[in-house]
Amino acid sequence: MNMAAAASTIPDQGPRADRFIVITAAIGLVLMAGLISLEAPIDRVWLLLIGTGLGIALYHAAFGFTAGWRNLVTERRSGGLRAQMVLLAIASVLFIPVLGFADSLGLTGISGTLAPVGISLVVGSFLFGFGMQLGGGCGSGTLFTVGAGNLRMMITLITFIAGSVLGTMHLPAWLAMPGVDPVNLIESLGVGPTLALQLVLIGLLAAGFAALERRRHGHVARVLQARPESGIVTTLIQGRWPLLWGALALALLNLATLLVSGYPWGITFAFGLWGAKILQAFGVDMAQWSFWTWDYPSLALKDSLLVNVVSVMNFGLLLGAMLAAGLAGRFNQASRRTLGTRSVIAAIVGGLSMGYGARLGFGCNIGAMFSGIASASLHGWIWFACAFAGSLVGIRARPWFGLAG
Amino acid sequence: MSSRRDYSRARVVAVLSALLVLILVDHFHSATFARNSGEAGVTTSYSQLDSGACAPCGAPCRPDE
Repeated sequence: MNMAAAASTIPDQGPRADRFIVITAAIGLVLMAGLISLEAPIDRVWLLLIGTGLGIALYHAAFGFTAGWRNLVTERRSGGLRAQMVLLAIASVLFIPVLGFADSLGLTGISGTLAPVGISLVVGSFLFGFGMQLGGGCGSGTLFTVGAGNLRMMITLITFIAGSVLGTMHLPAWLAMPGVDPVNLIESLGVGPTLALQLVLIGLLAAGFAALERRRHGHVARVLQARPESGIVTTLIQGRWPLLWGALALALLNLATLLVSGYPWGITFAFGLWGAKILQAFGVDMAQWSFWTWDYPSLALKDSLLVNVVSVMNFGLLLGAMLAAGLAGRFNQASRRTLGTRSVIAAIVGGLSMGYGARLGFGCNIGAMFSGIASASLHGWIWFACAFAGSLVGIRARPWFGLAG
Repeated sequence: MSSRRDYSRARVVAVLSALLVLILVDHFHSATFARNSGEAGVTTSYSQLDSGACAPCGAPCRPDE
């Protein structure tokens, strides 16, 4: 009996954990935590662990933004987008009171994600939405799939970094174009009205997405209420989390990020920083670009990645996704297919567009949309609308690169 | 172990080790390392945490912050 025939006679017991990947990821986490605790206060270790939790949640729940948007446009399936609306609703309920009553709660030095509204935001978020459909993932999607060993997404990540650095060079010029200062709805309307307004808006959007699905298919798939396929403990460890679990975990861990670091979860600032550090290592004087003379970026550039909040959380996210993929026995499984030239070109174009767009638009689906909307910043809502418009163009462009529509 | 391994173990270790080396090299050239080594008057990310809380998304701080 040959191997294939032998394999076919073995009952399918589901994937088993890949011990090598699990141990390697665990060693990586212990090493990082040890290094950070030697050189920095303990909060950075907590942030590494929060990042790890985010990586596990993203991977096990397969909580991606890109496919959710595409499924609504191409197949009129709204499950992914409705899960994102649940995520935004939970986050709004958690964040808005905390940010609004921070002083009364004794929380000093915390701030929501606030950014200006203008041409830069509109163009940047549109470019990001376009790029995410070609690159194959957004900021979090790129990072957690790289952590899980996806080779194509490594190309996207490298070009994402390149695009981010380019974006930092041009951002001041974009900011000189028409725009207004950040609009904080909590300051403008108060906690109660802001929360009510956001929940109504999120509910209307979710109902609208569901209506589109019902019109096409005659019913709405019960994706959110899906029960786990295995027992709760097995599912928690090995994956295939219901989307609701993913939404809950992401919202709670973002709140933890706010409480520990002082500001909500972000991802893409670190990509620009990593790129700038690489250029600096090759002798490029980054101070010639005014972005790198601003307080936060210039100090981040001078300081260690081990104390940079966004970088530390990204390291945790990468290792968390690797750990989760190992536990699920699926590390690098997405790279089985051979990469075609057009697919690689799409990854390059998508990564560059996302990187440049993330800097102009002040973040990605996480930093700008998730954390921005949770912080009741107007820019988060505008980012969502413009990125979705860009995504529509990106979906149209996918067949040119041999990608499924 | 899954029935078919989709990666090279050596490559995984090599990539992670290379990243660790890069992070360490960056750290040894950083303000925090200088301060931890006893250099006085070095400004690090920690001295900025409160005043820079608006900036991690890459947006400039508002004038009143």
